[in-house]
Amino acid sequence: MKSILLSSVVTALLVFSGCSDKSPKVDDTSSVSSSATTTQEVEAVKTETVASDSGMISSGSESISDLESKLTSIYFAFDKFNISSQMKNNVSADAAIIKANASSYSLKLEGNCDEWGSDEYNFALGLKRADAVKKALVAEGADSSKITMVSYGESNPTCTAKTRDCWSKNRRVDFKLLP
Amino acid sequence: MKALFTLLFIISLSFANDATIEVIKKVESLPSLAVEESSTSYDDTFKLKFFKSFIADLNVISIFNVDRHYRKIDYDANDVVVENKDMKYVLRYQVFEDDSGYFNARMKLIKESQEVMNKNYRIKKKDFYMFISHAMAYDINEFMGEPSVEWMKRKVIFSRVVAPKKSELVIADYTLSYQFVVVSGGFNVFPKWANKAQNKFYYTSFDGDKPTLKKVDIKTGKTKSIISSDGMMICSDVSDDGNKLLLTMAPKGQPDIYLYDVKSKKRSRVTKYGGIDVNGQFIDDKNIVFISNRLGYPNVFSKELASNDVEQMVYYGKSNAACTAHNEYIVYKARESSNAFSKNTFNLHLISTKTDFIRRLTASGVNEFPRFSKDGNAILFIKNYKAQSSIGIIRLNHNKNYLFPLKYGKVQSMDW
Repeated sequence: MKSILLSSVVTALLVFSGCSDKSPKVDDTSSVSSSATTTQEVEAVKTETVASDSGMISSGSESISDLESKLTSIYFAFDKFNISSQMKNNVSADAAIIKANASSYSLKLEGNCDEWGSDEYNFALGLKRADAVKKALVAEGADSSKITMVSYGESNPTCTAKTRDCWSKNRRVDFKLLP
Repeated sequence: MKALFTLLFIISLSFANDATIEVIKKVESLPSLAVEESSTSYDDTFKLKFFKSFIADLNVISIFNVDRHYRKIDYDANDVVVENKDMKYVLRYQVFEDDSGYFNARMKLIKESQEVMNKNYRIKKKDFYMFISHAMAYDINEFMGEPSVEWMKRKVIFSRVVAPKKSELVIADYTLSYQFVVVSGGFNVFPKWANKAQNKFYYTSFDGDKPTLKKVDIKTGKTKSIISSDGMMICSDVSDDGNKLLLTMAPKGQPDIYLYDVKSKKRSRVTKYGGIDVNGQFIDDKNIVFISNRLGYPNVFSKELASNDVEQMVYYGKSNAACTAHNEYIVYKARESSNAFSKNTFNLHLISTKTDFIRRLTASGVNEFPRFSKDGNAILFIKNYKAQSSIGIIRLNHNKNYLFPLKYGKVQSMDW
């Protein structure tokens, strides 16, 4: 990944040093000469696959993926980050599972938003949702030192149709267990 | 009576330079310009592509009423094409390949049968033709004595979401005709140029345990991690000298704005409200504007870096979740509908901190991520409309918007 990034950057440098910074002038060969061999598009970089679930050894107790599938995501109202009364039961159920079976794992709370906005505010909204869930879990007895949070804004939708059902599915906090 | 005239005169003067007042320049009142093509090399498809790019650039400089007819003529012909006889200006150009295989262009501007300007261009690969096209339009604008369109030559860096939690960072020209993927793989967002020379940039990487701000030096190709924060880590703005950053971080799950000193690596917390404070933008060395939900909905506020006092800047709009500032001007994004269950419209608005005027800059769709040009005369923004993502340019003094669509993916954020 790093070397690919590096070569991409160097290539970008060569390409752009040759063309965009200055208005191209007659016989300005020195600044463009190096771009000849570097104009090919770089290959698409294979994305890293983090082995979060596959290959986990399940020695008696439940595997991470089994446990994760039991945790239900918490959903939120439009532009809101408080946990609704309907969702409070879900949080309690999640907290019970976390305390009973997942206490040895770290918990990552992933905040998400619907597609209305790609700005920082949307990321912050996702984070405040994760923070609300964290506070609720801690209130139910979960260990706060084992909980981390992240927000993906609108960039991690589970549903991409342009419907209100779909948007409501994306306004959520997901649970990820880490060894 | 005299006093009244003096008052009117003063009022007219004070409004003359206010960008919140719409300047409606009728297209008909602009001088006409026809473009004639005399190319000898390359196939017809490419020739037409170049012509289209050049016409787009000439439109964006907004000083001519550009005739879009594609007409051919010999470069050295004495007379202009007969259909162009009545045009105020005729721009004749030729693109050709020389013996070394370089891409060449030459142009001349003709006014009343007289050649008033000419210029030559040369670049190694024809794939970079759009930069020649931009340079030609830039030079014509300079020749006409209009305010500089320096931003035309600046590079745009943007993040394109290609799948959930997958994005790529792309460097492009302002029309997105040329695109170079500079970082791919993983989830990387919020790219921000680190200096005026545009040879370094910051971005947020989600590849590690925590969101991390990284800095790429394009010259050396080196990437280094600058600072991490649990929850959120975004570089919202870079000071003019590149030495100070406004970051949004959330070390304890609380999104706030921090000032980061690039040299000393010291950071200080700028906002302390318990809700959401994000999107810090420098007005000058001492003042910032930012977005906060301290009134229960997102809105634009300002504050002195050294003081705790916060001032509300915008009194219109139900949800104003993004902003950019240049001197006394602020452009912000406002939600125009309050419907949580159907399509929403988000428009950009311009206000001046010195007057009460509001000018709406966009009309339809989701318009967001406004970014002032360095000179404050243009605003770049992202438009998402009917599943199409575009980058738009607003020419404030010309009251015109231009859109350049993205072929695939969705623009998440950008800087120029």
